[in-house]
Amino acid sequence: MVSKGHPRATELWAQWKPTLMTNFPGLTDDQIEGIILYINDAAAPKAAVTGTNATETSGSGDNSSTMWMFLGLALILGFLSFALMRIIDNLANINRVQQGEQPVRKTVSQMVTSKGFIAFMVFAVTLIFGYKTVDNATQMGRQQNYQPTQPIAFSHKIHAGDNKIDCQYCHDSARRSKHSSIPGTNTCMNCHSAVKVGTQTGTSEITKIFASIGFDPISNKYLDGYDGFSEKQIEEVYKKWIGQAYMADKGLNSLDDNGRAIVEDQWDGVVKALKNDSNGKIQGPIEWVRIHNLPDHVYFNHSQHVAVAGLACQQCHGPVETMPEVYQYSTLGMGWCINCHRETKVKFAENAYYDQYERYHEELKSGKRDAVTVAEIGGLECQKCHY
Amino acid sequence: MGEFMAKYPNTRVITYDPVSAAALLAANEQSFGQRAIPSYHFDQADVIVSFNADFLGTWISPVEYARAYAKRRKITDKKMDNMSRHYQVESHMSLTGSNADNRILVKPSEQGAAICALYNEVAALTGAGSIGGPKVNDKAAASMKKVARELVNAKGKSLVVSASNNVAEQVIVNKINDLLGNINTTVDFGTLSYQRQGDERDMVRLIEEMKSGQVAIAIVWGANPAYELPNAVAFKEAFAKVNTRVSFSGVMDETTSLCTHAAPAHHSLESWGDVEPKEGHLSMIQPTIAPLFDTRQAELSLLMWADSPNLNLEDEQPYYQYLKSYWASDLFGRQNKYSTPTAFWDMSVHDGVFEMPASGRTVSFNGNVSSEGVSKPSGSAVEISCFETVNIGNGQYAHNPWLQEMPDPVNRSVWGNYLAIPVEWDGVNNINGWQNLTDGDHVDVTIGGKTLNCAVVRGFGQMPGTVSIALGQGREAGGCGVGYGVNVNPWLGMNGNLIQYYAGDVQVSDKPTSTDKNVPCVQHHHTMGVAVGKEEDGKPYFVDEHAIGYKGFAGALTDRSIIFQAHVNELPELGERMEKFHEEAGHLNQQTLYPDRSEFFGTGLHWGMYVDLNSCIGCGACQVACVSENNVPVVGKNEVARHHEMTWLRIDRYFYGDLENPKVVYQPMMCQHCETAPCENVCPVNATNHSMEGLNQMAYNRCIGTRYCANNCPYKVRRFNWLDYTTADLWPANEERVFHVSEDDKPFYADNLVRMVLNPDVTVRSRGVIEKCSFCVQRIQEGKLTAKKETRALADNDVRTACQTACPTGAITFGNLNNPDSEVNQKRNNAGAFAYQVLEEINTRPGVKYSAKIHNSNEELNS
Repeated sequence: MVSKGHPRATELWAQWKPTLMTNFPGLTDDQIEGIILYINDAAAPKAAVTGTNATETSGSGDNSSTMWMFLGLALILGFLSFALMRIIDNLANINRVQQGEQPVRKTVSQMVTSKGFIAFMVFAVTLIFGYKTVDNATQMGRQQNYQPTQPIAFSHKIHAGDNKIDCQYCHDSARRSKHSSIPGTNTCMNCHSAVKVGTQTGTSEITKIFASIGFDPISNKYLDGYDGFSEKQIEEVYKKWIGQAYMADKGLNSLDDNGRAIVEDQWDGVVKALKNDSNGKIQGPIEWVRIHNLPDHVYFNHSQHVAVAGLACQQCHGPVETMPEVYQYSTLGMGWCINCHRETKVKFAENAYYDQYERYHEELKSGKRDAVTVAEIGGLECQKCHY
Repeated sequence: MGEFMAKYPNTRVITYDPVSAAALLAANEQSFGQRAIPSYHFDQADVIVSFNADFLGTWISPVEYARAYAKRRKITDKKMDNMSRHYQVESHMSLTGSNADNRILVKPSEQGAAICALYNEVAALTGAGSIGGPKVNDKAAASMKKVARELVNAKGKSLVVSASNNVAEQVIVNKINDLLGNINTTVDFGTLSYQRQGDERDMVRLIEEMKSGQVAIAIVWGANPAYELPNAVAFKEAFAKVNTRVSFSGVMDETTSLCTHAAPAHHSLESWGDVEPKEGHLSMIQPTIAPLFDTRQAELSLLMWADSPNLNLEDEQPYYQYLKSYWASDLFGRQNKYSTPTAFWDMSVHDGVFEMPASGRTVSFNGNVSSEGVSKPSGSAVEISCFETVNIGNGQYAHNPWLQEMPDPVNRSVWGNYLAIPVEWDGVNNINGWQNLTDGDHVDVTIGGKTLNCAVVRGFGQMPGTVSIALGQGREAGGCGVGYGVNVNPWLGMNGNLIQYYAGDVQVSDKPTSTDKNVPCVQHHHTMGVAVGKEEDGKPYFVDEHAIGYKGFAGALTDRSIIFQAHVNELPELGERMEKFHEEAGHLNQQTLYPDRSEFFGTGLHWGMYVDLNSCIGCGACQVACVSENNVPVVGKNEVARHHEMTWLRIDRYFYGDLENPKVVYQPMMCQHCETAPCENVCPVNATNHSMEGLNQMAYNRCIGTRYCANNCPYKVRRFNWLDYTTADLWPANEERVFHVSEDDKPFYADNLVRMVLNPDVTVRSRGVIEKCSFCVQRIQEGKLTAKKETRALADNDVRTACQTACPTGAITFGNLNNPDSEVNQKRNNAGAFAYQVLEEINTRPGVKYSAKIHNSNEELNS
């Protein structure tokens, strides 16, 4: 900018030469405008008041505004300390000149290698590394937003969103047991023995279900002795089906080139989805990829949360009904669990189990409290989850 | 079996019991015409005399007997005038002997003489004739006189049992019971027990036949004769002459390794089956898991070899169908409770057992008593008795590491068998072992020309002139028990082809051949306190250096409030003493800095336990149950010797009374879940803290392993993972994908087969953390959830700890202390002042209460 003769730039360069201004390639023009606006504002006499306001807004939990506040503060402080350094330096020089000595100008390299600067840098680096280490250690093993590719492109959006199938129709063990298990292929077949062609994927995905369980969609029968089928036999059954479906869709009497390619392609997809290292054949269960996984030292029981507390699945799993491909919505970190336990109110009146908490019931009756949270019946205690 | 024999009519089935009751069966046949074992009603007996029968630990049906026995030992009211009296006639202290009110010491070879002596005394009092017989030692003879008088006074309500494997002696015992009117009352032939049916005399015949080449095929099922028999050498020689040798064993044990074919059968947890341990009690064996390996159920193999027409191999589970149709065709007709075979089968599977009505059979004594055939005292200077232990039995459990690491209740040693030698008190401070031997010395013991090198342990209550050692160790093949202890079966003699579990003419080397300082004896581990300067000479007194403790208690210090005991006649005095103690402790505990937390603990649930020391027989079932429930690692012999055993629940053994022949109190000791726990205050990272339900919680992932808590625990119940016992910390165990570990190279806890032993609800702890009893918190949470889901109040039965469910005598009760009607509260209240907290005066406010131990010894016998 200086070489291009930008007026403000040349002015600054003349003033601060040889110090170079830090380059912020990450900042957009808007942001820079914002910072400048902020700096101007902060440099004004009412800086203290502005600061207070900034702290208050940070309390609202808006992350980006907090970051901007810190960045702004850092800039101001950096600017101030730089200015102070210059002033001290200048004063010292004036002093020297008054005493008849030559003014000593420190070069940049002198400044950078000075004790104070190195100490500051060591301090800053230690601080940042320390913070980052702790932060990353906390994040270790967490996989928020984990979104693996599943063997079948199963869309929760179509099933739970568009068709409004209840979560617990398929994940029925959630209300009864520790695990909310992945449904078996039988559950799929409840509907897919009738729905044989998908609205979006056609035969490519649903054929995988049939091939896994041994259902012949043409004759609408389960194949006898399917376990003993060779891959060739299976291939024959389902290639025929894919081809037939294609022909029905296009209104053809025989397969065209495109159709043949689609049959081959879809069959390859079936083989890839169902055959793997642990199960060397097409028959047998579909190996879905587990997304939500807690460490071994955490005990979690779905039925406690679903059946007793009556939580909606979405509370932890997010808007699954809008996800074409499921990802882990929550952090599943301990702080996240604890927060919910702090805030959630227990269904105290409805469940006779809670009658034993006589003191709380009296307090509820006398109006001393209006609810009991999970935390108040031991929901924050270590052995609620760790044993 | 019947179908197999029909197909191959030359088949003979030979059964033997590794620890034989053949003489008892033969005697019952002679006396009562029933070759079976009766039901013994220990709960109906006022006076029990046991001749070396370890009926609480190993004899015939110990769990059944212990449950009945304990019914008459509990504190039911302040008077306890219903307590039974138990005499044990033996040479070494067995588990049963340690619970007896009086032990009458006789040498192993004097058992017959002792039985004759008792018979003669009882006969004199009831007007029957004397049978003479060999003489027992004078002290025992004098005791028998007094015992006989008591037995006669309790006519019809007494019980005499004997483990003797001598037909004549067992007949005399039957006659004693007959004279005392016990037949059909406490000795009940109405419901026969089929738990012993074998006869080793058949085995002797079989060995002869095999030797002469008369046997072409031998099938071994559920037996290990190459190890278990005293004449195993002869068996092996003869067995080699059989052309086809088949074993059904699931492990490569001593016998299987001699076989030509191994046809491994399912484990019992993989099998269907039915058994009738007692007459009319049909019990189901149900699989809990699909077979893990390529095995086949032994019954199915036999049926297939027999080409059974009733077997349909097309069925998915042929033996299951076979069993079901047998129940429908045969057993269904024998009952009238259910009207259809399906209902009969389904309900029996559901209940696990089907009980037919009792036969109502009565018998009368119909035999000849004679002292002829009674074994004569050997007269040798040193005799040995060989006994089963409650954990390893006769060796069938030697390959189970949980049981190997469970200390023997009496000598408290693990991983092996130890020669118990008599002790002698020097009258001051020391208990010296016989021949100045001490724990950890190894000696050469020679019997009948066979020498074995045994480790020594001082055996309190061991009769002078006798030694004893456990059976079941010194295994040569089959699993983890190989290489521990010595096999003493070859020492056992035969009398009329019946195995005798003792021997005379024992030569023990004068000097120890070597000494092992690392004795895996847990008696001196985790002791609860050390008294200093209490002795008359003012010398410090350390428990670890002297096996005998203060004031006659052994193992740990007992001038502190750990154990209370009294004779049943002194109950009022004990009550006063304990009330005063509670008062003093309460006064001390009021001077506390702790804030009042009664509101915190008073809300909702508060877990607590009650352990009835009168019911506790020290069998150790709770300890193994705890290990199994809570994924407690097995650490091995060397680690135990270094005090590193990990058990969350230990059974402390305390001696009292006579120093050389003491009485015993067993005290299960687990985390006491103190309300003001000393461990919690010293944890720098708050890894252990208290829940509002009264649990002392332990968060393993928070623990950094300072061990301050373990040091500060007055009960010494916290355990530290010194090493990575579970291999849970190894990188390859955790990062299989990164390290490309092959299935064979996996560390053992990463191996999926080994992992099946784990309880999935309990964390496997890694190295460097403290762990301890959690009151089975996983069961608590599960029970609470069940109640919540059913929207009802929590019931006592919802939460039962592992130790509680395993206890055969109901000594352990667990429940909610905030519920005044809970079983635990009722029992604690019933016991009144006799219920106490261990170290009550130090204001730890434990959640566990114990009862004082009451005994009912005949003081005349001690004089």
